[in-house]
Amino acid sequence: MTILIWIIQLFFVPVISPLIIGVIKKIKAKFQNRQGSSIFQFYKDLWKLMYKDEVVSKDASWIFLYAPFIIFTVTIAVGASIPLFASFLNGPTSDLLVIVYIMAISTFFLSLAGMDTGSAFGGFGSSREMTISALAEGGLIFSLLTVALVSSSTNVFIISGINILTHSQHLLSIMLAFIGFFIILLAETTRFPFDNPSTHLELTMIHEAMILEYSGKRLALMEWASANKLIIFIALGSNLFFPLGIAQNISWLALVIGIIVFLLKILFFSTIIAILESSVAKFRFFRLPDLLITSFILNVIAIVLIN
Amino acid sequence: MTKEKIKNYIPKNAKVEFFGNTAIFEISSFDLKNEILNLHKNKKLLLKLVTATDERKENGCFKIWYIFGSPKENIFIIPFIKVKESEEFPSISLIIHKAWNYENKISSFFGLKPIGHPDNRTIILHENWPTNIFPLRKDFNWQKKPAEASGKFNFQKVKGEGIYEIPVGPIHAGIIEPGHFRFSVAGENIVFLEPRLGYTHKGSEKLFEILPLDDKIKLSEKISGDSSFSHSLAFCQALEQLSDSKVPKRASYLRVIYAELERLANHFGDIGSIMMDTGFSFGGAQGARLREMIMQINEKITGSRFLRGVNVIGGVTKNINNDVKIKLANELQNILDDFIQIIQIAENSSTLLNRLQETGKISSEIANDFGAVGIIAKSVGFAFDARLDYSYAAYDESIKIDIPTEQAGDVYARFRIRVSEVYSSIEIIKTVLDKLPKEDIILSNQVTIFKKRSIAIGVVEGWRGEIIYFITTDSNGNISRVFPHDPSIANWPMIGFAGLNNIIPDFPLINKSFNMSYSGNDL
Repeated sequence: MTILIWIIQLFFVPVISPLIIGVIKKIKAKFQNRQGSSIFQFYKDLWKLMYKDEVVSKDASWIFLYAPFIIFTVTIAVGASIPLFASFLNGPTSDLLVIVYIMAISTFFLSLAGMDTGSAFGGFGSSREMTISALAEGGLIFSLLTVALVSSSTNVFIISGINILTHSQHLLSIMLAFIGFFIILLAETTRFPFDNPSTHLELTMIHEAMILEYSGKRLALMEWASANKLIIFIALGSNLFFPLGIAQNISWLALVIGIIVFLLKILFFSTIIAILESSVAKFRFFRLPDLLITSFILNVIAIVLIN
Repeated sequence: MTKEKIKNYIPKNAKVEFFGNTAIFEISSFDLKNEILNLHKNKKLLLKLVTATDERKENGCFKIWYIFGSPKENIFIIPFIKVKESEEFPSISLIIHKAWNYENKISSFFGLKPIGHPDNRTIILHENWPTNIFPLRKDFNWQKKPAEASGKFNFQKVKGEGIYEIPVGPIHAGIIEPGHFRFSVAGENIVFLEPRLGYTHKGSEKLFEILPLDDKIKLSEKISGDSSFSHSLAFCQALEQLSDSKVPKRASYLRVIYAELERLANHFGDIGSIMMDTGFSFGGAQGARLREMIMQINEKITGSRFLRGVNVIGGVTKNINNDVKIKLANELQNILDDFIQIIQIAENSSTLLNRLQETGKISSEIANDFGAVGIIAKSVGFAFDARLDYSYAAYDESIKIDIPTEQAGDVYARFRIRVSEVYSSIEIIKTVLDKLPKEDIILSNQVTIFKKRSIAIGVVEGWRGEIIYFITTDSNGNISRVFPHDPSIANWPMIGFAGLNNIIPDFPLINKSFNMSYSGNDL
């Protein structure tokens, strides 16, 4: 039974993530009075890319070749070590700081891969990604630290096991930290107003610019990994701040409820992201640090309020 | 009357030839600079374009034409110089900056050297074209492919610590026309930007000399596909002058309707694309939807989404009957209602306005020096519009035309100009539909014979700005030279200044707000 749950936990993120991309695209299409593609389109795209030939620049080094595998593996590893639908799958890598800095490995390799072929756009993407992720890191650590302080643990499973919303005296801190976290979520998952995931303008891209040189299997892995990252952040946001409905013990009923509730949470977050992307324009690049600093300040206030 | 007006602009001793509202006179190369300066500075005429003709067979010389227009008076003053043995002519680029690219083009295509021009690089023709073959000379063998050459193009360099050069294009990530942009950046800031065009060069000017007449009109529709109707209208108007053809009243009214429909379709598309490029996807989708509605109206009325095959010499081929007339008025009202709502939503989005305002600014001095036309000119406060300045078709028949202007010169100003022009275009179509006279749309059995050794200029305000066709005929009455001047040719050089001191991620938005034709520039 436990093995089975572990297997579900391991495969949950990569299996569900393409669906979320499809759902967000569908909602956005509806906002634009369009029919939109099927919510399963991203699965088909991945399938298609897996069977396509690859073009690799002759200037590419091993970083370019292996980065997609490293990045994809990181998202699988992180996806397996955070609470998704159950709060009792504690592992050695389930510490907040470990998770944040394992994710940093993927950002590191993504940026290197962007610069590796020497194309101007890749360099752009990497430089912008570094600017944003350096500023986002502070906000991310501090918002997670807030929930860690409230629940006196840095282990994500323990945090999600204790429903922090029952600490009603810290409600304001938690809400501030959540707002801060949500801003970081948008930045880290290359969403509006930071980056436009559906843009075709090579000069404005951040994430897309870094993977511009990829094709075939490696492109599929890169895109899949970025979809995984979105679920990981949604999982952290929903299960650390609002752990309602998460399975607390090994029983079929609890697990089924846990999975359904988690899917609903994902749907909720996707809807918010889609609404946001349909209603605002992308920010000018130099306004983005303001937003990230706002997140950081909110989180600092949140921490100060806990004592 | 017209002759009297024209006399004011012409030196006393000059031998003047009149062709309708156009006057040509020869000046010597020696007097050129003074005379040009006089017309430009003292008489306040606008230099429209500079081009050349190869008349070595008939007159034993090349001629270089300087076409000046006088807005509101609807007259053209064209001094020209003859270039005999030397294959050189004095450059006026340092007096009138606008002439810069035109002189370079003469140098690239006619092999005549502008003496005193600071930039001797060829334009439009690339490094693979031999430097000693000039395609617009009459003795150029257009059926033979010249040998591949290998030259080098020197981009202008910016040197300094931390300056990087970024080559972008000619192939882009989206589906747009090809063009190369060389950015010099310090971080994200654009320090210098040089566009390099010519990737869609297809020998249109030479084709105009070779093709049979009917195909020439079709060719004019393809100079810049999104302005098919305006281009063929300008061409047909010039041909009508050359052949003294009569255009029935109904046809000239219909031409106004079609021209405004074309303007509407493109403005809707651009307004949408500008919003789309900021990531404001709602506005983007709506712009595309409205454009499509106009395109479908076009198809229903004329059978062509781009209004092709409508213009002919002496009228139009497609009529609007009473049923269609009522339907068109209703549909336009619906489109207008939708559009008003969309613009309200857009104007209430602070994130959208933040991206548009202060982005891609050009000053009125720059616009003046480069001789900006159309939307770009209007966005810095110059109310140039060929519909009023050089009135044609039924535009002079007591139709109220609002010419919007803005002062800021940024992306938002160009956005606002388009929005205002949409309102005014819908208003014009409604008025014209009401007044539509009952007549034929084309006079039957009208024979077109062109005047010999003549010149004609056709001007139309396309949606980008004024489209000018400069046409000459030889001693047999055949068309010997056509210069289809798309407004893009005048406006392209300004893109570098619009991009200056902006950040790289804003450039696509700036370029979209200009939205110039690559095909129309490369010819």
